[in-house]
Amino acid sequence: METFLRVIKLGYNNFWRNRYLTLGATLLMTLTLTMISVSVILSLIVRDTASSISSKIDVAIYFRDDSIPDEKIAELEARIKSFPSVTQARLINKEGALSIWGRLPINEQTKQSLSSSYNPLPRSIEIKIDSPENIESVVQAIEQADTDGIVCSECASYGKNKEAVDRLISITGLVQRAGIFLSLFFGIIAVFNVLNIIRITITARSDEIEIMRYVGASNAFVRGPFIVEGILYGVLSTILTTVFILLITKLIAPYTLGGFSVLGIDFSKLVIGNIWFLIAIQLGVGVIVGVVVSLISIRRYLKA
Amino acid sequence: MDEVLQVGSPSPPKPSEVSETPLIEIRSVSKSYGKSSAIKDINLTIHEGEFVCLVGQSGVGKTTLIKLLIKQESPTSGQVFVAGRELRTLRDNEVPYYRRKIGVVFQDFKLLPQKTVWENVAFALEVCGISNDVIKRRVSKILDLVNLGRRQNNYPHELSGGERQRAAIARALVHSPKILIADEPTGNLDPVNTWEIIELLYRINQRGTTIILATHNRQAVDQIQRRVILMKSGKIVSDQKSGRYVI
Repeated sequence: METFLRVIKLGYNNFWRNRYLTLGATLLMTLTLTMISVSVILSLIVRDTASSISSKIDVAIYFRDDSIPDEKIAELEARIKSFPSVTQARLINKEGALSIWGRLPINEQTKQSLSSSYNPLPRSIEIKIDSPENIESVVQAIEQADTDGIVCSECASYGKNKEAVDRLISITGLVQRAGIFLSLFFGIIAVFNVLNIIRITITARSDEIEIMRYVGASNAFVRGPFIVEGILYGVLSTILTTVFILLITKLIAPYTLGGFSVLGIDFSKLVIGNIWFLIAIQLGVGVIVGVVVSLISIRRYLKA
Repeated sequence: MDEVLQVGSPSPPKPSEVSETPLIEIRSVSKSYGKSSAIKDINLTIHEGEFVCLVGQSGVGKTTLIKLLIKQESPTSGQVFVAGRELRTLRDNEVPYYRRKIGVVFQDFKLLPQKTVWENVAFALEVCGISNDVIKRRVSKILDLVNLGRRQNNYPHELSGGERQRAAIARALVHSPKILIADEPTGNLDPVNTWEIIELLYRINQRGTTIILATHNRQAVDQIQRRVILMKSGKIVSDQKSGRYVI
């Protein structure tokens, strides 16, 4: 236990003593971890967006005009609910439509052009389907069920969402692959630069290592402080990266409100909600890189 | 350990008792670096308790021989035995434990500049996992032995050359080694400090530690009047039981 504490103390003292050199290595590691974090956040956004869109209206049917009796609409709604692939069918009346209009992220002047005294918004039924593949069959079933022709077939939105989701899924895959590639690219550059900086610090302390070996320090005791330093690189760069990410999130969150809210995503909440996950990834990568690079650098000094 | 830590006797120094048991045996050892030969066909036996001066000009192979003894290098051919064990049979993980049994002192002191005298000496025990209580006791005694008790909180750059070398000797002794190897320990010192160091080594030898002193210092060798091994061009050319420095 005493030896273990001594090794940690030695590692910490060495880290602090060479702080200018270690700052360089730490900043490089921070850059890499930031790139990796950005890739992860991007993946999360794309995943949540795809999920959000998928969970939104799969099909929406609108009624031709306000003269259609509510009973006929209710009857159609009940029939649609009985379709096997339909998980949910919700009638939106005119007041409901106006309420939705009021929540849209558009300018106030436009919003106020409609009101309860002037509400041209049609009644609609929002239909959720268990799988995008069943959209077409449900649409056909609705057309067959609409014997009175009360549905405005040219107004319906269906299939377009499926297209959007399909496109989004392929974009998601592309973005994720691009993110992995960029992370790896920057990661490799950072690893080589960190390797060089750590090699320089070890070379600068080659006398110290030599003395440790002359007085009979075991290889484990010589290696130990450098492993501690590697861990400290990882921890410090994780802290810096996390602070940076949180700051940037706070700065840009107001500007992302409009764009992401349409997709049902709160950017700030997404980042903060996943912050421990991000920290775990950063810590894992940072510590592993720091330790591995330190061990590689010290290896040649350990040959008997 | 105990014999190293005893206070010196007030009577004039006597030659230490030399055991008949060979402590170090070097059998037909050669060492080459590429095409260049550093030492050739060295045969040498050193007994326990001896004080051996290894003399010769720069580049004759003294330091190479020392490197072989501390297992920093391996011979190209031949065998080196220390305390009956051939060094080539030492596994990598055994080397640190072997080095703890041999104290080494260098011309450039090799003290850690960011540690005090106390911390430098204690470091040699810390790396071996010795407890803090034992370290405290041993380091105090060893610093008193080398007369650095009052300088224990000073850093190397605050010490004279002689004091630094005494600190290095203290560190080398703290494990109570059977062998103390000094490679040009007085090379950077003035005559007064030189004699202090030689006298200290002399006292250590009296307690039973085998000393191997590689040196250019003619005066010291002549005054010690102990075994002198002369090297030339990588070979031993003379080996006198009680010799003088003659090149």
